[in-house]
Amino acid sequence: MKTHFLWLFVLPLLWRCSNDDSEDYQNIPIAFTAPANFPPIAYNFANNPLTEKGFELGKKLFYDGRLSSDGTISCGFCHIQEDAFTHHGHTFSHGVGEAIGTRNTPPIQNLAYQTTFMWDGATDHLDLQAVIPLTSPIEMNGNFNDIIAMMKGDATYRKLFKQAFPDGEINSENMLKALGQFMVMVTSSNSRFDKYRRNETGGTLTTEELQGYALFNQKCASCHATDIFTDNSFRNNGLPVNPSINDIGRYRVTELPQDLHKFKVPSLRNIEKTAPYMHDGRFYTLEAVLNHYSSGVTTSATLDPLLQNNGVLGIPLTDSEKTKLIAFLKTLTDNQYLTDPRFSEF
Amino acid sequence: MKLQFKNIIAVLAIAFTFTACSNDDDNTPTGEGSLKLEFDNVYKSADLAFNTAYTNTNGETIKVSKAKYIVSNIVLTKADGTTYTVPKSESYFIIDEGTAASTLLTLPNIPAANYTKVSFGIGVDQEQFLLGADGQGNFLAQAQAAGMMWSWSAGYKFIAFEGTFTSAAVTTDTTFMLHTGKTGTDYNYATVTLDLPENALVRTNITPQVHIMADLAQLIDGTNKINFGDGAMVMGGAKLALVTANIANVFEVHHVHND
Repeated sequence: MKTHFLWLFVLPLLWRCSNDDSEDYQNIPIAFTAPANFPPIAYNFANNPLTEKGFELGKKLFYDGRLSSDGTISCGFCHIQEDAFTHHGHTFSHGVGEAIGTRNTPPIQNLAYQTTFMWDGATDHLDLQAVIPLTSPIEMNGNFNDIIAMMKGDATYRKLFKQAFPDGEINSENMLKALGQFMVMVTSSNSRFDKYRRNETGGTLTTEELQGYALFNQKCASCHATDIFTDNSFRNNGLPVNPSINDIGRYRVTELPQDLHKFKVPSLRNIEKTAPYMHDGRFYTLEAVLNHYSSGVTTSATLDPLLQNNGVLGIPLTDSEKTKLIAFLKTLTDNQYLTDPRFSEF
Repeated sequence: MKLQFKNIIAVLAIAFTFTACSNDDDNTPTGEGSLKLEFDNVYKSADLAFNTAYTNTNGETIKVSKAKYIVSNIVLTKADGTTYTVPKSESYFIIDEGTAASTLLTLPNIPAANYTKVSFGIGVDQEQFLLGADGQGNFLAQAQAAGMMWSWSAGYKFIAFEGTFTSAAVTTDTTFMLHTGKTGTDYNYATVTLDLPENALVRTNITPQVHIMADLAQLIDGTNKINFGDGAMVMGGAKLALVTANIANVFEVHHVHND
């Protein structure tokens, strides 16, 4: 007779244990494999192992405007997936209080293969990068303690933090790690160019595109190197300095005279989608970019040696060569990455 | 012979004397206790006070309005030469002259022993930076709240020393700011090891307090001199390495209380 009452206690426990929505830590790893044509992985997964719930939490944070001081500016506000996570058409972006920045929103793609982040390489660890736009007064103007209080008051965040991290703590460490897991996962490796490189179906390039690729390797790949299209270095590519901004670039980080006006060589992947171009978004078209290299490069103390050969500034290009190069660059557009629902806001 | 009562008393008295003598310094203290580190900021020979004029050897007179620094990675050395390292995740503190409570650190769960040295870092160490966010707990949030985060480089200000200065050439009060931290070229992290003039006796019932004097004048008027007249905002570049080298002469243990 008495045992019947015991079942009343046991049954609910069994129910909880089999509930997928339980608040226990879920160690479901996500495997991260580098595509065959990519350079080696630079990110250290040992300090922040990828899990499904960690990624899910990171994505939720990425698209949550409440991280900003006025509740409206999420990371996704400027980093829009269909524009390769850039801010379409915007030279500079506007943050909290309509504050305008001085640098063009860079894309989020293939960050696992890069060693420094931001146009001036201000940080060299991806998990810390988010601190910069999050706390910048002209971007999200976020305060960690306010954000943590907000998340502690939100049942979905409370559950996700417990599911994503063994200690289940809602703190700046776990929040940054979750964002890091989301960002590191955003990979673009399935453009028509990638399929061509890996001999996969759908990897056919036209004659013009192949000629463009040959030209690219000859004239551009010394800086835009590997299939990530950057050598992760900082260079001065001869842009005339905008006197109203006078962006000193890498010099701010190192204060070394040789770094004045140098910026990180950006990846050219999905370049068709990331206009406008350069660290300050001054060029609206790829034609304008190539015109700069062929006839717009200005000399200065730190101009990259690769852009001054035998007294010739820049990279000589004929109109026909420019057309072919642009045709090639468009093969880097990766529709799978641009529409991948795993990275999408909705 | 019958045992005489007074003989027994005599033997017992002698026995107690011997045991009493060997009780004072336990050879193997057991258990854990706490240890306190007090950071007392001074400027040369005066207690550091805000808005008080101090003159440096370069002729610049400064008044301080902010003095904060990160203390981390505390290691205590025992009399037998072995060390106890405070767990890394619990070993990051912000000392703020403007917040009295922050200048006294109470370290719990210290193994009972006689301690002869204390060592700590100023700033956040390279090992931690290489780990990214891992192991930082809530320290970034704490640093942001204390104004010790370097937002633009996703790092920390290791030292924030601010105020105004005047000199023969600069006659109106001009703001100066000295912020050290990891730059693109240097980590600028310094480790300090201090001898304790008397042992710190950590016991289950004794909490020693180590009184550390921090002469902040050494930061800008020490082995290396920083002239605010050459640049009042010192927040990067080669000057930070000079300030970091100066840290070696900032700290000294004045005394230890054991009670």
